Amino acid sequence: MIEAKGLTKIYGDKTAVDAVSFTVEAGRVTGFLGPNGAGKSTTMRMIMGLDRPTSGSVTVNGVPFAKHVAPLREIGSLLDAKAVHTGRTAYNHLLAMAATHSIPRKRVNEVIEMTGLSDVAKKKVKGFSLGMGQRLGIAAALLGDPQTVILDEPVNGLDPEGVVWVRNLAKYLAAEGRTVFLSSHLMSEMAVTADHLIVIGRGRIIADAPIQQIINGKGQSRARVRTDQPEHLMNILAGDGVSIQVQEPELLEVTGLDPRRIARIALENRVMIYELTPLQASLEEAYMELTKDEVEYHSLITSGAPAPVQAGGN
Amino acid sequence: MSTSNLNTSTLNSSTPNSSTPSRRGTAAGIGPGPSFFRVLNSEFIKFRTLTSTLILLACTLLVMVGFGALTGWGTGAFAEEAMRDPEAAAAMAAQGGDLAITVPTSGIAFAQLILGSLGVLLMSSEFTTGMARSTFAAVPKRLPAFAAKLIVVLVASFLLTAVSSFLAGLVALPILDSYDLKLDLASSQSVKLLLVSSIYVAAVAAIGLALGSIIRNSAGGIMSLVGLFFVAPIALEIIQGDVAKEIRKYLPGNTVSPMTAVNHEPGTLEVWQAALVLGAWVVVPVVLAVLLLKKRDV
Repeated sequence: MIEAKGLTKIYGDKTAVDAVSFTVEAGRVTGFLGPNGAGKSTTMRMIMGLDRPTSGSVTVNGVPFAKHVAPLREIGSLLDAKAVHTGRTAYNHLLAMAATHSIPRKRVNEVIEMTGLSDVAKKKVKGFSLGMGQRLGIAAALLGDPQTVILDEPVNGLDPEGVVWVRNLAKYLAAEGRTVFLSSHLMSEMAVTADHLIVIGRGRIIADAPIQQIINGKGQSRARVRTDQPEHLMNILAGDGVSIQVQEPELLEVTGLDPRRIARIALENRVMIYELTPLQASLEEAYMELTKDEVEYHSLITSGAPAPVQAGGN
Repeated sequence: MSTSNLNTSTLNSSTPNSSTPSRRGTAAGIGPGPSFFRVLNSEFIKFRTLTSTLILLACTLLVMVGFGALTGWGTGAFAEEAMRDPEAAAAMAAQGGDLAITVPTSGIAFAQLILGSLGVLLMSSEFTTGMARSTFAAVPKRLPAFAAKLIVVLVASFLLTAVSSFLAGLVALPILDSYDLKLDLASSQSVKLLLVSSIYVAAVAAIGLALGSIIRNSAGGIMSLVGLFFVAPIALEIIQGDVAKEIRKYLPGNTVSPMTAVNHEPGTLEVWQAALVLGAWVVVPVVLAVLLLKKRDV
């Protein structure tokens, strides 16, 4: 379990992480989602004791990282950049890391095999592709058979096969009761990997909820409605917080009303509806909306259309 | 990447003790952590598994032995020349035949540059490559990793300088012999020269390591080292006046000759003073490096 309380990191006049509090529970995959520069990596480096928080604290299993007796056996991490001297072979890199905790060579060979690095283990990391570098980072993270695994952008640079592999690995580790915390800026990846989602934007937590709740919850409910009296329906549905888009002559997209209410209003006003489809927001849309809120400081999204693409950038 | 598939059976077989997560979570009883000996072992593995490090070590050996041979020949030729001049011959005889004594350690000016740079690189490369994140995630107290590196670089530099000085002496012996010059590698003065030179080069490597840790940049660290050992003495030589002359005595590079002099020369540091000055040149940057390493983000 990872617990952050009021975690803050200020670089000069830039607040990278702003009084962030969250808990990452064991036994499930927790995704850490946010645009580039939102503070994901900084937060993870603070968890690993590499960056000192300006204020606040973070503990892993109740203890600050540096206070653990055997840190590598407690927390395994893959942080964003290649944390390897590229002049060394993959095997020797893992061997040197294992030596600090008397982790046997057998385990080094195991993680090499697990991550599919057997063919290149005796080669210098210099020649590794980004994907192979990621695999080596994951191998290092698993070296101590840790209870908590922190992976920063683990699918970066992996081929599709590797992406599936990381996904299965994360789920497998969580199913074993471990704490799995992985960051990504790829919403689609999170949608299929994570059980729980912590969304960060501009150094602040925007959402911290089960993934299903984020998809359904904060996004307003939307429905596709087909009717032969679109103008009349638009008039009777109009109200506070409701926005309607005409997509085709007889097709409306209604945001802010749930399908049951739309049907009731239509029935009461004797307007025939021949299609009423609840639209589930994709995680992508939910995320865009969340980060748009953060960026624009809670201005209302009135268009009802999926949030513009530029939101959440930077 | 054809072997990249990880099926569940591989996962199962590779994590046999992890099925009872509830027993974990407390620090006790999950296996050994980073004791100092283990960190030292890790740093030694890191030291010996970099080709660039091994190349620098080989270069040091080569340069030391090469300079031994070259200086042996040069000294012999000089002595032969001097023998033709009776006055010079008399002066040399008065010196007691110690002409060849510095031949084995004649390459240390270069050894200190190479091994000092190696010291810089050992630490700066941690930061330039990102390896530091792995190192300090495994050893979050940081100090043991630095101390282990310091010990590795001190011992390696000392041993390498001692061994290559001795080899340089062995190579120079037949050359000196052909000029009828004697060199006793087992004499107390030879041994003293070899030990002091080796300690000195180890000290330079330690200063390099500290600079590498403080500056975190390979080029910057090496330039600072060169500035301290090569530029500063020359600059202070050019500047006239007693102040510059006085300061020059306290430069780390000028502590060797007082420590190895047969007789104390007036106007130079005493042996113990020179040893203290060299010690301070090591301790101050090392302490500063440790304080900064503890304080700064990786």
